[in-house]
Amino acid sequence: MSGLTFRLTSAPVERLDLSQLTPKHVASIPLAEVLKLNVGTTKSALKVGDVFAVSGKPGDVITIEGSTDKLDFIGAHLDEGTVIVEGDAGVGAGRAMRGGRVDIRGDAGALLGSAISGGEIFVKGSAGAQVGGLTPGDKFGMTGGLIVIDGHAGDRAGDRMRRGTIYIRGKCGSYAGSRMVGGTIWTELGFGADPGMLLRRGTLIGPSVERLPPTFADSGRHDLVVLRILSRYMQQKLGARAPKPLPGIVRKYAGDLATVGKGEILLTS
Amino acid sequence: MKINGIEIDDTFAEAFGMAGTGVIVTADTMKWARIAAVTMSGFGTSVIGCGAEVGIDCELKPEETPDGRPGVRVLLFGFSPDSAAQQLKTRVGQCILTSPGSACYAGVQAEKRIGLGQGPRYFGDGFQTAKRLDKTRYWRVPVMDGEFVIEETTGIVTDAVGGGNLLILGNERAGLLEATEAVVDAIAKVPDTITPFPGGIVRSGSKVGSKYKGAIASTNDAFCPTLRGRVKSEVGPDTIAVLEVVIDGLSSKAVADAMRAGLKTILEVGASKGVTRVTAGNYGGKLGQHHYKLRELLP
Repeated sequence: MSGLTFRLTSAPVERLDLSQLTPKHVASIPLAEVLKLNVGTTKSALKVGDVFAVSGKPGDVITIEGSTDKLDFIGAHLDEGTVIVEGDAGVGAGRAMRGGRVDIRGDAGALLGSAISGGEIFVKGSAGAQVGGLTPGDKFGMTGGLIVIDGHAGDRAGDRMRRGTIYIRGKCGSYAGSRMVGGTIWTELGFGADPGMLLRRGTLIGPSVERLPPTFADSGRHDLVVLRILSRYMQQKLGARAPKPLPGIVRKYAGDLATVGKGEILLTS
Repeated sequence: MKINGIEIDDTFAEAFGMAGTGVIVTADTMKWARIAAVTMSGFGTSVIGCGAEVGIDCELKPEETPDGRPGVRVLLFGFSPDSAAQQLKTRVGQCILTSPGSACYAGVQAEKRIGLGQGPRYFGDGFQTAKRLDKTRYWRVPVMDGEFVIEETTGIVTDAVGGGNLLILGNERAGLLEATEAVVDAIAKVPDTITPFPGGIVRSGSKVGSKYKGAIASTNDAFCPTLRGRVKSEVGPDTIAVLEVVIDGLSSKAVADAMRAGLKTILEVGASKGVTRVTAGNYGGKLGQHHYKLRELLP
């Protein structure tokens, strides 16, 4: 693996938009042009060279060193290669990704992986609200790919999500899977209040729910083959970091019956 | 040429290009995976009469299947991808969907795909849901013992081969059957192949055509020992019976490997069981695209 390293030289005074810093893009232009790429979000029009010391050779990886939560849209629109974030990431990291990998070694802000359709995002810390969600103008939230969060996730994870998998080792906030159309959200430590509001299809998996919406029906305890497939999929994707395989028997709550009701909340304990 | 007391004819097996596909059938136990697979393979001996040639390729350990349960790989061969897809749809719908605890996955990975769960999913009457993981979509169809899970598509190859064969002649019928069973067991170990006839063995080899109008095939009189003296017989005076092993494979190499394994076995065990000669069926080389010369496949 080779690539450029962007080391933040001082704490940014404004929010920065790093959506242009993808391995493919920075490798396609001369370094002098890379230094002139606009990352500012105010009329001061900050360039890469104003805030980052750049080293290394262009390749299939870029590394952001000294990153803070003011660095937004890291790895946005990524379709190949890897973006490593040493530190925290701001809003919209991995937004609208189609492939590749974003590896955040700290916390991530809101809208992590919003409208992502492929690729993988890993967060060592926790993530803000609306993981895999959507922003105005998007038809759906996440439509593919895998997001793994080692810490906790904020409210409304998977808002209007259609496909893909979000795995949270910690706890998931309130209103997870709101307006969800498909896909899977799996938390190891449970959901906050009212998951699956207006859930059409899709699967929420966790050991507990703080408060279950009244529009979910208890369908009983079941041994679901599809959970074996999901466990195996995670094993293939994550190897040694994969979660423990899901238990054979889960309690299924079908809903949201306020809408088509083909979704499910599966409680593992 | 005689090896270990068994005559090997200087001839070849003539085989045909086919479309080949497959599924992995899993269940709670190997017993039920096997039951589903055997049921699906039923009435799947000859593509001419059955619409497809179907058989079990191998059994799979839990760690080898998509859902971590015991499984069986079933291969299905047809004249064309369309006819194979139709046969697959009806066989899966009637034999796998109905079998307790079963699930069904793609058994062939190839660029060209045909529907697998695309038909059976409608059994769910609108209650079916899909789960897509990366590029693979699984259908979950509610059934009375839980859910029937089936992958949306499976792969199909159009350079598969049907009709590799060995004709084994012997002077003792029970011994010949035992020796031929050993051949089938050896071929079963060759990946990507099946022997679609009952127990892998055909006792009614056929020739093209018949004296009767409408019959496209009839008994292979030249190899019927009881007709010796009445027809231009291919069997010698010591031959009591002839058994045939027909082999289908996902590739020409697989069929050749299977024939090689079969020949090796018959040379090892045949003589003690009364096997006197091995030959192969062909149509003069004018009909089939694939020719497997016996003497080139000897161990």
